[in-house]
Amino acid sequence: MSMNAGRKRSESEEQGGPGDQKASPARPPFGKKQLPTIPKNAVPVTKASSPASATQATNGTHASYGPFYLEYSLLAEFTLVIKQKLPGIYVQPSYRSALMWFGVIFIRHGLYQDGVFKFTVYIPDNYPDGECPKVVFDIPVFHPLVDPVSGELDVRRAFTKWRRNHNHIWQVLMYARTVFYKISTMEPLNPEAAVLYDKDVQLFKSKVVDSVKLCNSHLFDQPRIDDPYAISFSPWNPAVHEEAKEKMFTHKRRPEDQPKGLQVSGLSWVKPGSTLPFSKEEYPLQT
Amino acid sequence: MASVVANRSRGIQSLGLKGVDPETCMIVFKNHWAQVVKILEKHDPLRSSGGLSLGGGVHAFRSHGLRHGAIPLDEASAVQNYVEHMLLLLMEEESGVGGAMGPILEFVIMENVMERLFVWSLRRDFTDQSKLEQLKMYETLIGQAKQPLLHHKPILKPLMMLLSSCSGTATGQAGEHELVLLLHQLCCVVSNDPSILELFFHSSEDQGATNFLLFSLLVPFIHRDGVIGQQARDALLLIMTLSNDNQRVATHIAHNTFFCPVLATGLSGLYSSLPAKLDVSSEDWHCIQNDEWQQEPALVHFLNSLEFCNAVMQVAHPSIRDQLVGYIFNGFLVPVLGPALHKLTLEEVMTTTAYLDFFLRAITEPALLHTFLSFVLLHRHDNVHILDTLVSRINTPFQLGTVSLALFRTLIGLYCEDVMLQLILKYLIPCNHMMLSQRRVVNERDCYSVSAAKFLALTPSCCSPDIVAPPIRQLDSITWTKVTDGAQPGTMEKEACSSGQDDSGHSCVIGSEIHLDVSYLHYLYDARNSISKCMRACRIWSAPYDSVTPPPEDKSRPRVTSQALTDVTSSSGVELEWDDSYDAGSSARARQEEEEEANRAAASVANDPPQHIQELRKTATLLIKGSYVEESEFQNDVMVYDLVAQKDTNESADQKHIVSGHVTKDNVGPGNPEDSGETSEIGNGSAQPDVEKQNGVQTEADQNSHDLHAEHDEDDLATQYEELIRILVIEAKSPTRTQQDLRNSIMEEEEDVDFSTLSAETPEAEKSPSPFKTKPHSGSINHAIPFTGPFMSVLLSRLENMLENSLHVNLLLTGILAQLAAYPQPLLRSFLLNTSMVFQPSVRSLYQVLASVKNQIEQLAVKQKDFPALLLAAQQCLLARETSVTLQGDSLSAGKNVKIRSVQPKMVVPSHRTEVYATVVFTEFLKELAAITQEHSILSYSPMEE
Repeated sequence: MSMNAGRKRSESEEQGGPGDQKASPARPPFGKKQLPTIPKNAVPVTKASSPASATQATNGTHASYGPFYLEYSLLAEFTLVIKQKLPGIYVQPSYRSALMWFGVIFIRHGLYQDGVFKFTVYIPDNYPDGECPKVVFDIPVFHPLVDPVSGELDVRRAFTKWRRNHNHIWQVLMYARTVFYKISTMEPLNPEAAVLYDKDVQLFKSKVVDSVKLCNSHLFDQPRIDDPYAISFSPWNPAVHEEAKEKMFTHKRRPEDQPKGLQVSGLSWVKPGSTLPFSKEEYPLQT
Repeated sequence: MASVVANRSRGIQSLGLKGVDPETCMIVFKNHWAQVVKILEKHDPLRSSGGLSLGGGVHAFRSHGLRHGAIPLDEASAVQNYVEHMLLLLMEEESGVGGAMGPILEFVIMENVMERLFVWSLRRDFTDQSKLEQLKMYETLIGQAKQPLLHHKPILKPLMMLLSSCSGTATGQAGEHELVLLLHQLCCVVSNDPSILELFFHSSEDQGATNFLLFSLLVPFIHRDGVIGQQARDALLLIMTLSNDNQRVATHIAHNTFFCPVLATGLSGLYSSLPAKLDVSSEDWHCIQNDEWQQEPALVHFLNSLEFCNAVMQVAHPSIRDQLVGYIFNGFLVPVLGPALHKLTLEEVMTTTAYLDFFLRAITEPALLHTFLSFVLLHRHDNVHILDTLVSRINTPFQLGTVSLALFRTLIGLYCEDVMLQLILKYLIPCNHMMLSQRRVVNERDCYSVSAAKFLALTPSCCSPDIVAPPIRQLDSITWTKVTDGAQPGTMEKEACSSGQDDSGHSCVIGSEIHLDVSYLHYLYDARNSISKCMRACRIWSAPYDSVTPPPEDKSRPRVTSQALTDVTSSSGVELEWDDSYDAGSSARARQEEEEEANRAAASVANDPPQHIQELRKTATLLIKGSYVEESEFQNDVMVYDLVAQKDTNESADQKHIVSGHVTKDNVGPGNPEDSGETSEIGNGSAQPDVEKQNGVQTEADQNSHDLHAEHDEDDLATQYEELIRILVIEAKSPTRTQQDLRNSIMEEEEDVDFSTLSAETPEAEKSPSPFKTKPHSGSINHAIPFTGPFMSVLLSRLENMLENSLHVNLLLTGILAQLAAYPQPLLRSFLLNTSMVFQPSVRSLYQVLASVKNQIEQLAVKQKDFPALLLAAQQCLLARETSVTLQGDSLSAGKNVKIRSVQPKMVVPSHRTEVYATVVFTEFLKELAAITQEHSILSYSPMEE
């Protein structure tokens, strides 16, 4: 349901505004900072602060806590993505920066059926006040909206203006998926593909098939970006994968994956539907 | 005799009879018995047979005086020797193939050996000593026999006779000890083999006894101190466990024994021997810690029994559990703890509160918690809800206030829906506290950390992370690592180029160093743990409390409208004195009433409890410089104090303190060293020049903050007014309060109105028209009056005064608020943490109160030259404290508010400079709240999800 809504939105916006502003926005003074996730076993770099750097921030607490705000905004986005359960899309923030997410998309039917496309999401560091995130395919897929050289998907046409609270990264991912099912040729990044699609669908189709084959043939390549959390594929190896597969199929919705010993249980004697304390008749019976 | 057997058997065991041929053993046994029988028969008055009729039991023997002359010593000792050997042989005998009886046991049963021996023992002088020996004999036999013996009636029956001879008679300490030991052993056997239980019942019946002897013999030892008591309670627990599966046992215990009443009334008895006043080590003391109660034998004793109740609840049959719950409620809580919570002196009340807190922490079993909590939440003492009384005590400036805070920390930490419902949620459910348009916001998450940022932006400029002294920050500031390797490999550069952007295109390059407060990471970590723990705990709650469920509009919940208010008030027959008060309130009259108030407050404490509580509260609140209290019943006291404070601005601070000190002294009276100590401290404090100065500043600050809220005051008063009427009406409807209370409230309401007129007269205050002239006070408002409940109100009120609170009060207070903030219920979360939400004008939010505190701090920082230096020192003191606290492993104490690395303090900040410590705690609290807000934003929406 929510998925459909998202699709509709991105489609309507797609038609509404052809985003052609590709110029990079003016970078804020802190433009180049990167926010690493904090790995469990990483040792924080402790360092004596120089008086100069201690006084450089003038806008109160924001300078000190800004990175935390950004980090949590992105974590919140990621939580939303998980909640959406987008079909065929998997993402994972990189180890080094919450601003870079690795992803892969499985196309299950249509022209691009069987395509497995790896991509990277780049989120502007002034998120959520900047431009919309970018989606760059590892291998430029043959598609009217994918730049044949850089592999970048034209996302901006769907999100002409990135509006905080309204736009979310899951919508971008949703859009990246939609593009392969409903092909648009308006103001293409790949004019050749656009023209072919309009003029010679058969040839377009065969090019797409080639492109899908090419992408899938590089599936087992090392990830393009060296990062511990980069998504990498390997051929089926029962010794490694069988167990994981078993787990996936037997996995219950509510597993007891909470650490034992930390079992906390609250108390309630409120009858459902009542707002009076001790409205439940019975004590919870021991099992 | 038997003791020798026991001792020897222990000695011989190592020798072992294993090598000995069973047949030989049998022959020896038979020979011994033959010898014994000879002697027995020789002295048998009936001389008839071995099959004695024992139907009459022990007492028959006794009463008929069947002792038959003296038995020669040599014969007695011969029997004793034979029996020793025989018992040894019996104990060592293994059971036969397939669990069949061994030959010796079979012989014992056939010949009815045990019974005849018992009779023999009776025939001799049946003294305590011989009883003790018999008890020991059975204890050894049952404890060490290698085959089950109790299944056999010829063994069980004499045992039961022995036991029944022990009932009702004092057997001496050694006898008691041995008896309990044996009973415990029997209970162990029974719990391992419940089939024996039936035999115990039957054998009781055989003797015409209706009681379950094993059990009823143990009951008198329930509350016994020391090893005997412990062993008896252990044994009883074994039976309780049995009762859960055995309806018969359960019914018997519930209907035919005094177990539950004994248990519950015993608690009352033990409670009465607890010290009425605790020797409190310091001003910081707020709850009974583990090392403290262990040093108080009476408390240990009480706790043993309480824990036993807890254990019984855990294992016993529901019928026993329910009965016990009833007796504890009606036999301990209501008649004993209730009055104790309303004793006459502050110290006694404080001690009882600490006990209650301690008990609540000791109890784990839901059924028992249910009992205690329904007492706290629903019970009324003298027509006042205990909960209301407890909540109001939070506002007392004495240790009672601190201890009450600790009690509520415990209550909130239970994750109990009923507690949270009564304290806060029921006031939030109607959603009246927010603007109608805000209801949809309730469930929103702070996706972009806006609220967190707003909290952190309240950091006073003197504590700003940029300014705060390097020595502390340096240690732990971390620098986001510069990742120049790895994240920016060739491929990236290629991409950057290809996309035609010169700035690397994808913003993964790391720029300048940013120093971050590593302590914030700890706060985030703690917040995450705290929230997820809370979410797990709240899964069993009945509703998500998300402004949808339960629904804000509940048809069944009567809504109080102003129309209804006027109707009921006019029909209630209460004289509404406030009617003429708002047009005529002269300052003279106001002053007069102040005096009356003070007089009343200073009045002797020898009043009836209900009135006394009022007095206690009043004197207490008089000492608070409350610049803000939301609607609540003690609102008025604070208002009155404000009057005093404002009037005194022109006079010296000295005088004020002496006055208040005087009041305290008068009230508490002599013979309370603790309190008079506190009083004199206040007096001494004001004698010091710098304190004087500080007080002056503070009063000004208070006033400034008053001015800040001047615009709110109008609305506030109007709604407070409405609220009071509402409370009055509700109380008039349901007669929960005495007439006296009603009258008091109305009088206080008068003072409330007077306050507005007086403040208009004070030169500093802005002249504002009386709210009641501009606003019609009835009929215009159709909604129930917004109010977030007395608990929230009192917490925020204490928080607003945090600069005057002691360090420990502030740690407790912020700890409680942080715990509340960790609750995942959207209604509560949005009320506490959503800084963008728009509330009704009369509702103060946590954020507003924090903003007010920030302003107070900013003003202090400007006025006090030594503030920055003191601040630094205070931070170091707290760091040192935290280190020592951590070393002590004291996890409960709220040291978590200060998460900075240890530094040795160079100077000590005087403890009366509470504002300095408060500033440090305030700054840390902001971080804690921000961290909680951030973690909420990435954890699940509601506990019912996922």
